[in-house]
Amino acid sequence: MPYCVHCGVELDPAVKTCPLCGTAVNDPAARPPEDRPPFFPTRRAEVAPVPRKAVSLLITSMLASVSVCCALLNLVLKPQYQWYLFVVGAAAMLWVWFVLPLLVNRWVPVWVRLTVDVGAVAVYVALIALAMDGWGWFRGLAVPILALAAVVVCALGWLLRRGHSMLTTVTLSLAAVGVFCAGIEACGDLYFYGAWSPGWSLIMLASCVGLCIPLLVVRRVPSLREEVRRRFHF
Amino acid sequence: MAKKKQWYKLDNAGVLYSALQREEYSAVYRFSAMMTEIVAPAALQNAVDAVMPRFPGFAMRIRRGLFWYYFEPNTAPGPFLKPDVADPCQPVRFHENGGWLVRFYYYQNRISFEAFHALADGVGALTFFRTLLAEYLRQTGVAVPTGEGVMDLSEPPRREELEDAYVRYAGPAARRLPLVKRAYSNRGQAEPFYTFHVTMGFVPVDKLREKAHSYQVSVTEYLAAALLWVLAEKQRRENYHRMRPVMLAVPVNLRPWFPSETLRNFLVTVQPGFDPALGKYSFGEVAAQVRHYMKLHTAPQEMQAQITRNVRYQSNPVLQLIPQVLKNPIVAHNYRTRGVRPFSATFTNPGAFTVPEAMRPHIRHMEVVLGQATVPRPHVASISYGNIMEITVAGTQVDADTERELFRFLVQEGLPVRVESNRTGTKRRV
Repeated sequence: MPYCVHCGVELDPAVKTCPLCGTAVNDPAARPPEDRPPFFPTRRAEVAPVPRKAVSLLITSMLASVSVCCALLNLVLKPQYQWYLFVVGAAAMLWVWFVLPLLVNRWVPVWVRLTVDVGAVAVYVALIALAMDGWGWFRGLAVPILALAAVVVCALGWLLRRGHSMLTTVTLSLAAVGVFCAGIEACGDLYFYGAWSPGWSLIMLASCVGLCIPLLVVRRVPSLREEVRRRFHF
Repeated sequence: MAKKKQWYKLDNAGVLYSALQREEYSAVYRFSAMMTEIVAPAALQNAVDAVMPRFPGFAMRIRRGLFWYYFEPNTAPGPFLKPDVADPCQPVRFHENGGWLVRFYYYQNRISFEAFHALADGVGALTFFRTLLAEYLRQTGVAVPTGEGVMDLSEPPRREELEDAYVRYAGPAARRLPLVKRAYSNRGQAEPFYTFHVTMGFVPVDKLREKAHSYQVSVTEYLAAALLWVLAEKQRRENYHRMRPVMLAVPVNLRPWFPSETLRNFLVTVQPGFDPALGKYSFGEVAAQVRHYMKLHTAPQEMQAQITRNVRYQSNPVLQLIPQVLKNPIVAHNYRTRGVRPFSATFTNPGAFTVPEAMRPHIRHMEVVLGQATVPRPHVASISYGNIMEITVAGTQVDADTERELFRFLVQEGLPVRVESNRTGTKRRV
């Protein structure tokens, strides 16, 4: 009978590794394994999880039915406004966010996924602009803000692509929020006044930087880092 | 005139398990008998068919009422014997499998019986299982007499076997068992959908008893202390900033103190443990602590007060008026605060499985498995037959730390342990 050299327990002659510690079982005196069934059955009997395609079909049908119903309703209810575009745009955006990842089986780079998600928001905003005849603010304000969001989100996704620690994730996310706020104010100022005059966004940026610096210090000093990990159990 | 439909109230343990039942929690336990011969499925199905009418308490289906779940006799065909599966004790679904709350499996030499805990406790289930094994052996040509725990299939079921003994023994005073608020949780990372790891250790009973007696404790107390010890060491290694108490939920069969023939649930849970934050304990001290705790808290008066508290909870007029859909979250919250957080693990030892002389040569050993906990952490159960004590550590957590440390501890104590597991691909961890 084989024994695990680390656990000291007797093992089934058929096992190759100890089920407790994973150590390989090496018994030079072992006889060739007999053709006998394993101790436990191997037949799995779980109920299979719902296939991704079925889930995507369900969500698609829900979104599509809502869109079609609203479009039909728009024919009789306030037909002078194309309000159904708001609903259709929201449904399209949700479809891109939630159904598209279910349909794509291949690995997709994170920046592609994030850009597509921001693109879906852009399409939604474009539909609102179409309904309200607001191409001016769409080009001058919405497109720059959405482009900035895409850049910031992609940059953050790229920096965090290898699954960094909680501290690094929080630090970089705070920095991204600060930069994004400054960008929003700059876009707004340029659109409305033609020149950038920093105000509230500087307070946000300073607050984020103020939070990032102590986090960076904790991240860099091993004793502090370990203490935080112990206290917060991560 | 149409015959009035029979129905039965759930006992207070049944109310709890029914309200908690979901896909991520299984109040199902399993007893298995490893026979000396390969199991004959046709004979076993005949035995199941013969035994089920004698035990109406196991032939129930659960129904959802407006205010409570309730039982009614199950008239669906079955239950049918099935080939065994890799992941045992799967959660019960009330509307599937013909509504049956018991399952029967066979695999090579093993006969397995699974029951939903709302039906019966370990004592009731083992009485049923013993009778089933006796009938199976009769079907294969072995003459097994009735008596010694094997029920007579020719006699009608007795009313006493279906009584709610909790209600009968509810007394004048109601008390809660004092519990620590939050114990070391021993949580691991959960495996994906229905991967249920079962690891069994087999130890000679005589050597185990000798070792337990060297600490002046019983075998149950020794195993409970061993589990507490390895959990405390595990917590220490995990480098918790604040050490929490290590506590076990140990079900206690009430029949020795409160005579009852019921085959339904009749148990209370006690909470032996110790607080490693107070300082370094030796194993002997932990074993003594468990022994003294068990002696102190299994006083009949205290247990009766606990029973009374549970019965009053069920008959609380405010709770009675709350619809069952709203009651379930209340019961689940109560279970989280009183049944999950104060414990690090569950440990149950139904004791020695005894059978009539004629059956003994046909059974090699017994096994017991508890279903998955509400959180990914292992439950531990043990049962002995002859000179073999079987200890099962079962759970949905990825790591095998608890079972490894428990069996290593027993080996270090000088006990020979043979291990069988359905785990494959355990990560190397020395």
